[in-house]
Amino acid sequence: MVDSCFRCGAELGAPPALCASCGAVQPFRADLSLFAVAGLPETYDLDVQALRTQVLALQKGLHPDRFANAEPAARRYSLEWSTRLNEALAILRDPLRRADYLLQLQGVDALGEQVKVADPELLMTQMIYRERLEDLVAARDLSGMEALRQEVDTAVTGVVQRLRGLLGILPCAEPEAAGAALRELQFLDKLFGEIGRSEESLQNA
Amino acid sequence: MALMQIAEPGTAADPHQRRLAIGIDLGTTHSLVASVLSAVPTVMRDHEGKYLLPSVVRYLGGGDIHVGYPAAAAAGQDPHNTIASVKRLMGRGHGDVQTLAGHLPYDLVPGEGMVRLRTVAGEKSPVEVSAEILRVLKERAVETLGGEPEGAVITVPAYFDEAQRQATKDAARLAGLNVLRLLAEPTAAAVAYGLDKGSEGVFAIYDLGGGTFDISILRLQAGVFEVLATAGDSALGGDDMDHALAEWLMQEEGGDVSDPFWRRQVLQQARTAKEVLSAVDETMIMLTPSGRASHAVTLSRSRLESLIQPVIQRSLPACRRALRDAGLKLTDIDGVVLVGGATRVPAVRAMVEAFFRRVPLTDIDPDQVVALGAAIQADALVGNQREDLLLMDVLPLSLGLETMGGLVEKIIPRNTPIPVARAQEFTTFKDGQTAMSIHVLQGERDLVQDCRSLARFSLRGIPPMVAGAARIRVTFQVDADGLLAVRAEETGTRVCTEVVVKPSYGLNDAEIARMLQDSFTHGAEDVARRRLSEAKVEGERVREALRTALTADADLLDPAEREILDKAGAALINALSGNDADVITGAAEAVETAAEPLVQRRMDSALRRAIAGRSIDDLGD
Repeated sequence: MVDSCFRCGAELGAPPALCASCGAVQPFRADLSLFAVAGLPETYDLDVQALRTQVLALQKGLHPDRFANAEPAARRYSLEWSTRLNEALAILRDPLRRADYLLQLQGVDALGEQVKVADPELLMTQMIYRERLEDLVAARDLSGMEALRQEVDTAVTGVVQRLRGLLGILPCAEPEAAGAALRELQFLDKLFGEIGRSEESLQNA
Repeated sequence: MALMQIAEPGTAADPHQRRLAIGIDLGTTHSLVASVLSAVPTVMRDHEGKYLLPSVVRYLGGGDIHVGYPAAAAAGQDPHNTIASVKRLMGRGHGDVQTLAGHLPYDLVPGEGMVRLRTVAGEKSPVEVSAEILRVLKERAVETLGGEPEGAVITVPAYFDEAQRQATKDAARLAGLNVLRLLAEPTAAAVAYGLDKGSEGVFAIYDLGGGTFDISILRLQAGVFEVLATAGDSALGGDDMDHALAEWLMQEEGGDVSDPFWRRQVLQQARTAKEVLSAVDETMIMLTPSGRASHAVTLSRSRLESLIQPVIQRSLPACRRALRDAGLKLTDIDGVVLVGGATRVPAVRAMVEAFFRRVPLTDIDPDQVVALGAAIQADALVGNQREDLLLMDVLPLSLGLETMGGLVEKIIPRNTPIPVARAQEFTTFKDGQTAMSIHVLQGERDLVQDCRSLARFSLRGIPPMVAGAARIRVTFQVDADGLLAVRAEETGTRVCTEVVVKPSYGLNDAEIARMLQDSFTHGAEDVARRRLSEAKVEGERVREALRTALTADADLLDPAEREILDKAGAALINALSGNDADVITGAAEAVETAAEPLVQRRMDSALRRAIAGRSIDDLGD
């Protein structure tokens, strides 16, 4: 089905948000996926810089500032599109959230509360990393923290590489393996944040 | 009734005519107004050629009000009626400002809601005081531009929370301004620099004003300014340097520290000395303690710097936090922009340079840069500029909800790009529970008592079920100005109810109406016209809402209720054909009151419809 402008009937592009012909902002479409809102194909392996450029270009036409003096309905549509575009950028730019979102689209909730983290190896790795961080904080060792941060960064790159393979063809054929990779990435993400916060509190002290 | 931003009727301008728009920097110590004149952003001057308007309002007996220099000059003799640094009180409760009370010589009125000041002209809220400043700036713009500005962009510190932003918007409304956008001050500064230089990259904006400190990390790329992170302190600024110096002087001098005249005198001398010491190494301060002879005190720059060093250092944790939130290292920063009069202090420049390891940009007057940027953005928003520049802001402080045990659960973290919407699912915790209390907070701390309370509301009409069975999804929507709306929705059917959130420190419409009444001495006609058009828009909205509700759900009312509502509706239609704002507003309020049972039952029945036909197991999974 081709979408057409609610005002002038002209054919709409992707995403069907602004009419190229009469300029009308279209009623918001809650049914569109984040990829569709950004006008991009559903894929894990996406160029984050291109995503950013694309979303910002769309924001230029749809942001509420563009409708500061417009009709209330147009202002509401613009707010809804713009909000969703921000969500698309936030989720799709992040390798963890992008993978989680793609799995959710096929009905897999890999990070949900019901999922038991039963991977003993991951649990052990977590404990070791946390102990190292605690020791570094106690020793006020900023350069050690920087080294740990780089180590975690490398580990993140490895997991993302694995996810790229697992999510190369969609829907994912091995959702269990992808879920496990996702949980590992989530842990590394949190650890990365903790290292940053610890560094900052040492610097501010 | 909600405070709503209402589009100005009759603004369809002649397309060939350039639309008038202004940018206002409503500052702690001084304020400015600017506009794009013949393609050049320009600050507007008063009759004496001065562009800074001291943000000082003096209330005199007999209804007279002085704003600006005459008020500032009288501050020493009439401290209780002369309000300076009112920005620090915007959107603040009585409890919030106790920490400032030692510094502020005002007579604060204890009570709930936003703090009030007792003056010779009666109790004044910070919103009213700010509106006086805005009114003067608006008049200056009208004279310079030769017409009413169609819209205004007003800058606020990036760190301002919801209540402070709402208070700023209320003040503008009170002054008869159509606010196109509230704009973060550092973003405005970046606009001024970005357009002037056509540069792209990542910038840190270090803004140390009179009363607030902001650090923002922005990226400019292909005409889009993206705020990557912001942090700061809404109670840190040049004033604190003055106070640090004044406290020291008072300690050295002795004298009665509770005497407001003495405090004011020392503070003024401290401020002057700080400014002078930006250019010279040593200065003399003349002091006249009451009952003692005038004498001079010598002050060196190094003494000043050691006194203000703790104040300057307080800005560093925020700089580190902003960098981390942006996911950047110091080496990623392409430039540092200085904003705010306090950045003229050499010790501040030295510290910024040492921290960011680069010489900060200071080409544009740090006092003017924010107003100039606001003017550029205002010009773009009314549609004058083909230059398509877009500013993407972020939420300055996290939004959260109170959960069991007085804890705050964050729903939207700080530095999330806005507009943004987030949803959270709630359920009941008691069997047969039919209502749920929702408390919205803003801040970074974990305990409710350490965060700012934005709004409380109850969700009623949940059908009685076992604990944990109901599924209510609450969505928080933050618009491009950083203002919040909350919506409750039953997840299965998308039946929803919009809940209007009033910041706890905001003003209700009755207060606004009273203030408008008070302001009749200033441009009474202008205000009356605006009130009427606003009353009409609101009245039409209520009439339309009533029509829709009755078409859909008239059967929910018993005949007696229906009769009352019909009468109120007819009175409203009658009022709308006339030109009396009070009558229209009164009639609209009467309809809303009469419609309360209907509204309540519509929500109940919507929720029941939503949940009916589903087993408890379905709902409870």
